[in-house]
Amino acid sequence: MSPGPPGVPGATPDANPRAEPATSVMARKVARLLLLPALLVAAGILVKGYAESGDGFSAGVVAALGVLLQYLAFGREEAEKLPVVRHAVPLAFVGLLASIGVAAAPLLFGDAVLTHYPPPGSKVVYLGTLELITAVLFDVGVFLLVFGFAVGTVTIFARAGEAGGGHNRAGTGVERGEGRSGEGTRE
Amino acid sequence: MTTLWVLLPLLAALLAAPASALAGYLRPSLAAPVGATLAALAFGASLWGWGMGGGVIDVAWAPTWEIRFAVAFDGLAALYALLATGIGFAVLVYSSRYLPLHLGHEGRPESDGVGFYFFILLFMGSMVGLAMAQDLILIFVFWDLTAIASYYLIGFDRHDPDARASALMALLVTGVTAVLLLIGALMLHAAYGTFSVPELARMVEPGPLLTVSGLLIAVAGLAKSAQAPLHFWLPRAMAAPTPVSAYLHSAAMVAAGVLLIGRVYPLLQKSEVLLDSFLLFGAASVIVGGFLALTRDVLKQLLAYSTISQYGYVVYMFGLGGKYGVAGASFYVIAHALSKSALFLTAGAVTEATGEDRLSRLGGLRKRMPVLAAASGAAAAGLGAVPLTIGFFKDELLFGAALERGPALAALAVLWAALTLAYIWRFWSGIFLGAPGEGTHGERQLPAALVAPVVVLGALVLVGGILVGPFEALAEAAGKASFASPTPVEPAYHLDARPENLMALAAYGLGALIVLSWPAWSRSALGVSRLGERVGPERIYDLTLRGLNRLSDWAHWAEVRDLRSRVAAILLPAGVLVGAGVLATPSAGAYRVGELRAGEAPLLLALAAAAVASLAATRTRPHVTLALVLSGAGFMLAVVYAFFGAPDVALVAVLVETILTLLFVATLKLIPYEVLHRQAELPLQRPRRKALISLVAAAFAFAVVWGALSQPAAEESVARKLLRLTPEAHAKDAVTAILADFRGLDTLGEITVVALVLLGVATLLGRGGTR
Repeated sequence: MSPGPPGVPGATPDANPRAEPATSVMARKVARLLLLPALLVAAGILVKGYAESGDGFSAGVVAALGVLLQYLAFGREEAEKLPVVRHAVPLAFVGLLASIGVAAAPLLFGDAVLTHYPPPGSKVVYLGTLELITAVLFDVGVFLLVFGFAVGTVTIFARAGEAGGGHNRAGTGVERGEGRSGEGTRE
Repeated sequence: MTTLWVLLPLLAALLAAPASALAGYLRPSLAAPVGATLAALAFGASLWGWGMGGGVIDVAWAPTWEIRFAVAFDGLAALYALLATGIGFAVLVYSSRYLPLHLGHEGRPESDGVGFYFFILLFMGSMVGLAMAQDLILIFVFWDLTAIASYYLIGFDRHDPDARASALMALLVTGVTAVLLLIGALMLHAAYGTFSVPELARMVEPGPLLTVSGLLIAVAGLAKSAQAPLHFWLPRAMAAPTPVSAYLHSAAMVAAGVLLIGRVYPLLQKSEVLLDSFLLFGAASVIVGGFLALTRDVLKQLLAYSTISQYGYVVYMFGLGGKYGVAGASFYVIAHALSKSALFLTAGAVTEATGEDRLSRLGGLRKRMPVLAAASGAAAAGLGAVPLTIGFFKDELLFGAALERGPALAALAVLWAALTLAYIWRFWSGIFLGAPGEGTHGERQLPAALVAPVVVLGALVLVGGILVGPFEALAEAAGKASFASPTPVEPAYHLDARPENLMALAAYGLGALIVLSWPAWSRSALGVSRLGERVGPERIYDLTLRGLNRLSDWAHWAEVRDLRSRVAAILLPAGVLVGAGVLATPSAGAYRVGELRAGEAPLLLALAAAAVASLAATRTRPHVTLALVLSGAGFMLAVVYAFFGAPDVALVAVLVETILTLLFVATLKLIPYEVLHRQAELPLQRPRRKALISLVAAAFAFAVVWGALSQPAAEESVARKLLRLTPEAHAKDAVTAILADFRGLDTLGEITVVALVLLGVATLLGRGGTR
């Protein structure tokens, strides 16, 4: 997206990269330092999911939080330098396909949907705490979907916000705002 | 495993689509040649397979559901596989020249053609699969594949709303009726325990079950073959590019319907009711299609109605039954496919050269396009059953089959043959004979690739008229597969006064009479066809679709009109219903207040904090603060879970609250700041009503939770059972095992919803922001 026209009041901070950054040095430093640990923790939660607390969903959210922290600290353009951010939406659908694939694959062998292999009672190959069973692959799909959803949605919101941030959008914004005067209710 | 070569045609045909797409991905211009080569290979494999005498492959697919991957290369499969691959090849050659021109007119890039070839080859592959499938579920799979391919192909000009509506119509009519096929298959399975057509054919007894399930399957076939009254999608499908129409009408979509009927014919023929209904639907289609074809002005429309009428014959011959009927139906399919594909390609070439597609503005093109005129003349003669073309024999077989059933049906057959002759004469003479029409002044040259397929197909029509042997053998083989016993028919020229010959002569005379007297009654015929459009089945389809749209609009409106009313609409009835349940339950001993231990003080504290945060939320006006307050309540609840010893739930609660707050704030960023600010300043509307609704709902929810927690836990609850099963699923953590294994289907449904939401967000907000 092109940066907003210069001199327009209310333009987003990253419209002018030379301007004072919106976040402090501290916040940026911490955000950068936390990215790798967050992704590692996510990987840990995912891999250990079958033995301890946590699963693909939690892992996806943790990984997404690590990436979204970059958003908060550096803005969209910096954050999008990470490849996973640019491809977050396709990643989500890859995850969905992986899960559906794991769910549907047993049909080819004449088993019920979501039969996991190896079957109950038989031997399982371990890599540390990671067990090589298809349920883990299913969980990886969930992980990718959740991560892709969170990051993808925020990316889309950020782009839309920038595109609609100028004066030309204010009119439609007002109408839409008035349309939901009961705003503020949540489940 | 010596019969694995039976799969060869299927493999070649199924591989064609991905191979062509791959080639097209590398270079768009490669898609057509690669596809055509594989189509030719598949054709060769089909010929070879037929020459080898066919074979059967039957392996278990889903044994628990008794679904088998059963394919056979019998006569019927050979017939339709040869048609699908052979005409597919001709159409691909034609498209390789036609499509770049078409895309050029529409201002679309050449790479758009890759998808076209992919889907037309997918069509071919699924037709070959459908032809060979012996298992009703396998048939259903290929059946729906053809519907998907047709949807894309008919709607290929996707910028055109008409094309999109037509594609949807074709998909709905054939897709909804496909469900009937599935129901019919399941009914048969429930009664006989197998989906295999040959096994069913041995076991099925005539009776109401066969009649109903057979009728369901037959309706699917009839709708696909565009038989009245479900014929209306076919003329609309002419929105597709011409090569698609040619393929759809001669060898693919429409042919699939009669292929299905031919495949399950061993079952269907045991029921007199079904055979009679074929007579009825076939006759109705012949008359409606033939009559409307006479009134059409647009070339492709005329041909479309002609297809309805011609497949009406095929269905009618299936209804007549007997060896003439069944083998004749298959022969009719061959003859019609050759002629009709040539005529469609002619229409496309003429339109391409002149830019005109209406008969009334065309004419006199024989001098400019002598080769095309001759080739399509042969094809038209074939459709009109003129001697020395393959078409003569199709009518000979029709007359033979009709004669077996008495003079009345024979007379009808003569009338219909005359109708065919009349409209096809109108088509051909309207383009090539007479004075040059107003629309024929364009001076575009016809590329050879647009004429050559017509010439080849026209030549085949003539060859079939002299050397009918191979075609007859193919039709007999197909008839044998349908009839379950040999069907020797001997189409030949007999220079004597046998009834078939007399009937043919009568048909020619009657046809000439219709052509000559046409100016006298064309006006009233047009009026009748208009009336049909007003009150016909297409109108019913339109009304149904519009009604469904309106229902969906209304539901949407009721849902999003007002957030407040929507929340109230859920809370209030839920509260009242739950409350009624609570009041109706005996309450003695149901509500207990347990003792409070000292160690539980932090729990109380967390609950109190959550309650305070919830109360605060009702008074908070600025949106960002509201988001934070709400997440504060959520975090406190997470603490509660942690105290209860549910680390999984606590972890998820913390993460969900964090990410939700982020998403909430990100959403607020989409709304201009001034708007949010002004909103926050607005006075609360109807605060008392809101408070009342909340209180009612909350009070009953409270009562239910209290009552539930007062009950002692059941001995063997679901939770205990799942905990016991967890080690068996190779898991140590029950929550993960439940999510990924025991309740995996729920998870799958949930993540699908999440993906759909993402898709919605991306569609609504992507590409240029808030519109």
